[in-house]
Formats: sequence, C-alpha cells, structure tokens
Amino acid sequence: MFAEKVIELLKEAERNPVTIDPFNDDKIRQIVEEMHSLFRMNMNDANATMENKTLWTTVQVRHSALERNKRCLLAYLYSRMAKIKTLRWEFGAILPPDVRELLSDDEYEWFSKYSTNLASYMRSLGQDIGYNGIDLTENLKPPKSLYIEVLCMADYGKLELEDGDVILLKKNSRHFLPTSECQTLIRQGILKQIT
Amino acid sequence: MFIEDIKNDFYNVLLGNRVLLLVHYDVDAICTCKILQSLFKCDNVSYTLVPVGGIAELRQAYDENNEEIKYVVLVNCGGTIDLVDILQPEEDVVFFVLDAHKPTDVCNVYSDGQVRLVYKDDEENIPNFDDIFRDDEDEENEESESGREGLEAMVERRRERRAWEERRNTLMFNYTQFSYYGKPSACVAVELAWRVSRCGWAAVWAGAVAAAAQAALHTRAPAAALLDADHLTRHLPPEHTHTGSRVSLEKDVNLPLYRRWSLEAALRHSPALAPALRLHTVAGQTRLRQLLADTGIPLQQARQAYRSMDVELRRSLLTALQSAAPKHKLPDPTHTTFLLHRVHSPTLAATDIVYAIMGLIEHETLPRAEGFQHALAALDTEAGDNDSRRLGCASAQRALEAAARLAHATLSARQLHLAGPFSYFIVQEGTAEASLVRGPLWLGVAARWLAAGGAAVLGSAPGPPGSCLLLGVPPRYQHETRNLFGAAFEQAATKCGASVSLDYLDSSVITLPTAQRAQFLDALTALLA
Repeated sequence: MFAEKVIELLKEAERNPVTIDPFNDDKIRQIVEEMHSLFRMNMNDANATMENKTLWTTVQVRHSALERNKRCLLAYLYSRMAKIKTLRWEFGAILPPDVRELLSDDEYEWFSKYSTNLASYMRSLGQDIGYNGIDLTENLKPPKSLYIEVLCMADYGKLELEDGDVILLKKNSRHFLPTSECQTLIRQGILKQIT
Repeated sequence: MFIEDIKNDFYNVLLGNRVLLLVHYDVDAICTCKILQSLFKCDNVSYTLVPVGGIAELRQAYDENNEEIKYVVLVNCGGTIDLVDILQPEEDVVFFVLDAHKPTDVCNVYSDGQVRLVYKDDEENIPNFDDIFRDDEDEENEESESGREGLEAMVERRRERRAWEERRNTLMFNYTQFSYYGKPSACVAVELAWRVSRCGWAAVWAGAVAAAAQAALHTRAPAAALLDADHLTRHLPPEHTHTGSRVSLEKDVNLPLYRRWSLEAALRHSPALAPALRLHTVAGQTRLRQLLADTGIPLQQARQAYRSMDVELRRSLLTALQSAAPKHKLPDPTHTTFLLHRVHSPTLAATDIVYAIMGLIEHETLPRAEGFQHALAALDTEAGDNDSRRLGCASAQRALEAAARLAHATLSARQLHLAGPFSYFIVQEGTAEASLVRGPLWLGVAARWLAAGGAAVLGSAPGPPGSCLLLGVPPRYQHETRNLFGAAFEQAATKCGASVSLDYLDSSVITLPTAQRAQFLDALTALLA
C-alpha cells in the first residue's frame, strides 16, 4: 500500500515524544524511493492518458499518495527540528558525542547555525543598560531568588565575582551571594547553603 | 554623626550595594543580625557576615574583607572606639554603627559623615562639640604680635585655654566614667523592619529575645527594659493565620529553661532566685524543700521533667510560687517576658533562648564562630525543635549548673575575698567549672550570683595559658546598671603598669597576665578606696 512506510516512521517518532531518536536514514531512503517510483509511474501514465482517460483516477490516487508522503516527511523533519532546538537550551552549544550521533549531517549544520544565532542574540541583549549580554539558558524557569545565603565551611581564600567584587571566603563567615556564583563551590563542599 | 531617618538615611543607602556586616558575639547582636539578614534577603542586598569578638578581631575582619566594600554595618561593636583611627579606612567607606554599648566615642559622634550612628539614645549626655574640640590656629600667630599689649593678650589667651582644657577634661571624665548599655540594637532593627513594612513575627521574636537578654543579664535597668518591651508590643503584627505562631508579652515564672528542666533544678540554678535561697548551706537545702512544700508541689513531681508534671500543678505554678516567695524573703519570682506560641510545638520563652544562645557562643567545646552559626539557627521560629536550640539549651543547663556550683564552692570555702570597696573571686584553673565558666557571659552570671547581696564583685577566670579574664559587676547591679569598672580598670592598669589588654568591647571585661593579677587588684583597691 502507498504511504505505509511513512506512517510507520511517524509512529516510531511519536512513541518517543521527549527525547530524540537516531535519524532514520534507511526508512527515509525507502520512502523517497517509493515516491520516485510513484512519480515515474505517474509520468508514464500521464503521457499515455492523452488518449486514454480511464487512467486518470489512478494517476490522481498516486499523486495524493505522493503528496501525503511529502507532508509526512516534512512533519517528521519539523518535529525533529523542534527537538534539536530544545537540545541547544539543555546542553548548550556543544553536544555530547552520544547525542551528536543521533543527528544527521544536515541537522547538525542547522544546529550549529541556530546555536550561533542564539549566542549572538544573547550577547546583544541589554547592551543599552550596560550589561554585556544575558545568558538566557541559565535560568529557564524564573529563579525563586537570585541570591542565596551560604556558610563558608573552609578557608578558601579570595573569590572574584562576575561583577568584579572580591570576597574573602574564610571559615565560618556567612555570605549572601548570587546563586550562579556559588553553585560550583557548594558542589566542592566549600560553601554550604543555609535554608 | 547621627542618622535622622533610619529608613532613608540608613537602609535605602545600603540597597543595591555590597555590605560588610560585622557582628559582635552577644545575644543582642545576634538577634539584630537575624533581623537585618532577613531584610537583606528580601531586597537582594548581598552581604558578607563576619562575627567579631573584640577590637583586634574587628580590625582583622575589616582588613580582610574591605576590598570593594563601601558600606560597613557594625552591630554592637565599634561605637565606643574611634573607628576611623583604629581601622584606617579609605575616604569613601561609610560605617553604620548600631551599638548598644555606651558611652559612644565622641569622635564617632562628631564624625563628618564617615561614621554614622544609626540610633541616638536620649539618655546619653554627649558633650557639645565646642566644649571638646577646638582649633589650635591662634597659637600660630602668637609670635606675630609684639609689645606689651600683645604679651598681655597672649597670657590671657593661654589662661583661657587652660580653663577650657580643664573643663574639657571634667566633661570627658564625666562622660566616660561609666560604661553601660543603651536600647538593644535589635529593638532598633525591629523599628527599621517596621518602617520598611517587613516586620513579621520572626523580627519581633528576635527583638523580644534581645530585650529579654538585657533583662536577664542586668545590662539595662528594669524600668528601661519595660519601656523597650512596650515599644516591641506596639510592633506586633496581626495574628499570623498561616503558620499560627505568635509572640505575646506575658507574666511568667522567672526560672531559666524550666520548660526543659525539672522544676527543682530550675529553682536551684535560677540566677534570680537561687542566690536568695543560699543553697550552699544546709539551711538553704531545707529552705528549698520548704518553699516547694509551700507551693504544694510534691518533691517527686518537682524532680521530674517539667513537661511530665501534673497539669494541675503546672497551671497553678505561677500563683503558688508568687504566694510562697515572700515568706522566704525571696525576690519576686515572676517577670514579664515574651513567649512564642507555636502550633503543635511547645511554647518558647524569650529568656530560655537567651540562655541557649549564651550556651552556644560560650560552649565548652564548640568554637565560638561555629556557635555563632548555631545561635542564628536557634532564633528560627518554625514549628518543631531544631538541633541548634537543643544543643544550646543543654549547654546552658550545664553552664548554669557550673556557675551555681562555682558560687556555692566560693561561698562555702570563703573564697570571696574582700578587698576594700569590692570583693573578688578567682575560678581556679583545671577545675571542672573552669572549662564552662571561662567567657565573660557565664563568668558574669557567676559574678552576679555572688554579688546578689549588693556589693561590687570582681570575677576572674583562667583564659588562654598564662593569662586570665577579669570582669567587674557594679554594686546593686539589679537597679543601677552603669558600670564603673571600665574606667577604673583602665586607670589601674596605667598606674601599676600591668600589661592589660583592653580588647573586649565591654570595657568592664579585660584580660591580663595571671602573674600580674594580684598587683593589679592592689592597684585597683588603692584607686577605688
């Protein structure tokens, strides 16, 4: 039956709405082949129908099957594109190798372009009010508070903040710092968050 | 310079800037710090908080943290010393001082905007600027004039100057003669929280604990303490339906930590009642049993944990003690204190938290800085018990027991030496009590215990090896909180040449080498006689 493969492809993609599957090269090639053969058969019949109008119905059925295949393929690619877009926000500009393998070469090219575009947009943000861009990927949900209270657990020494301030992290001193600055230190166990 | 408007001239200036918060190790300062922290948290004012114990630590903390800092808030430290002289700050650094220690240093008062005092106490009689500062310009053009008239004018000017200097010295002597405490800083902080419309139960509770600390440690006269409490009750927010906790001012039994102790133990170790029972004598023990009998509480009940006592007895405790106390010539066993009522959790008394915080910052094993962090946690108002509070209460109970044991041992061994105008006692090194009663807070509790008769008492505890701590309690400390020992220590030290360290912010506490203690006490006796 016509367009059976493409439905399979879509169903497969739909089974996994959140994560991205490997690009199904094989199946796509089969579908494109099917489309080519449909097109060829139509060409032949269309040339023949000049005299014989009985073949017209057949041509029309094949043509709609062709169009359906095309639409479904585009839907498949589009849904993948949306997923790749979220990849950029989740992983940042550089994809881990196992995720990279799931994309086709064209998709990867698109990803790089999207990534560059986003980066240049983020750099341009807020320049009129004196910021050198804002990293939009940092807080995808509005943070509950920009600052957190931390207790210093060890003598760490000086820490330079992004805005140029220097603070001395000494044991048993408390600080109220931007959340983004502390996270690595909290993971290292130098700071402890106080709730 | 004093600040006129606590919101616009103090808090709004800090908004959006990095602040260095230097906090002294005392109950009031910790409460203030708690309130300021919650305000800063709301407004995203990023700060660095460093606890400081004395002038040397203050200087060290400032030197370490002054990079890129333009605003420094000092809580209960720095008011009584010339900040600019000691810290040598950059021109554009501004100090906000919130200090209950009095008298305030005149250089801070008349500072030209670099040192700003957040609260002006009306009780302070600060000398006028013209009386204590004077330009010495006229001396320079003395030479230019000549002849008889010039000479006469010069003599006249010199005499005038001498008279002025004399007056200045008298004024300054009167001003700095006594060290005392003003309105608790936490009450000022509550006021501030109220002005910026963020006065919640937590802020009021912290203020209440600070007020209770001043009452419990007798650093403020009872009348003044009552007025502070009155100010606090005015800021009580409407009932909190969300968490259900609320603060109320109520009449309560004046026993420390009795909600976590047994009634008998609390009575034995109460700094307010126990000295009058004279428990170091055999008669004292009988008196305590007699008192309990008069209140109608069986010994068995009094000895078990208060929370398991009979409900009827618990309910009638206040009235029973009140009626039984006069018979034994005890002081009033009740006081007015703030209570924190929480749903599904036991009620907390502000006085108990005071002792818990004292127990944490002068813990026998915990370093002071760690105790400070626990103390901040102990002020939380959430339902349930937290570890810090439990730790603090346990430590406070041990310390109170040690202070009581120490007082009894001193009295029964006649170790309270009379030296003219004051008595003194010495905590011997190596005893079990010495490890607990070694900081100024608990030594103060022990000294006041011994001074309950109304005499002035000096207490001395072993400090770091080779040196000791000396603390003075003024006579009739219950009524007159002004402490003359601060100035006296200073003078005695210069007289006898002892290498005394005046590092403590409370000037009535000093450290000196143990070898020079006897010599120093002699000099002090001679001075005060």
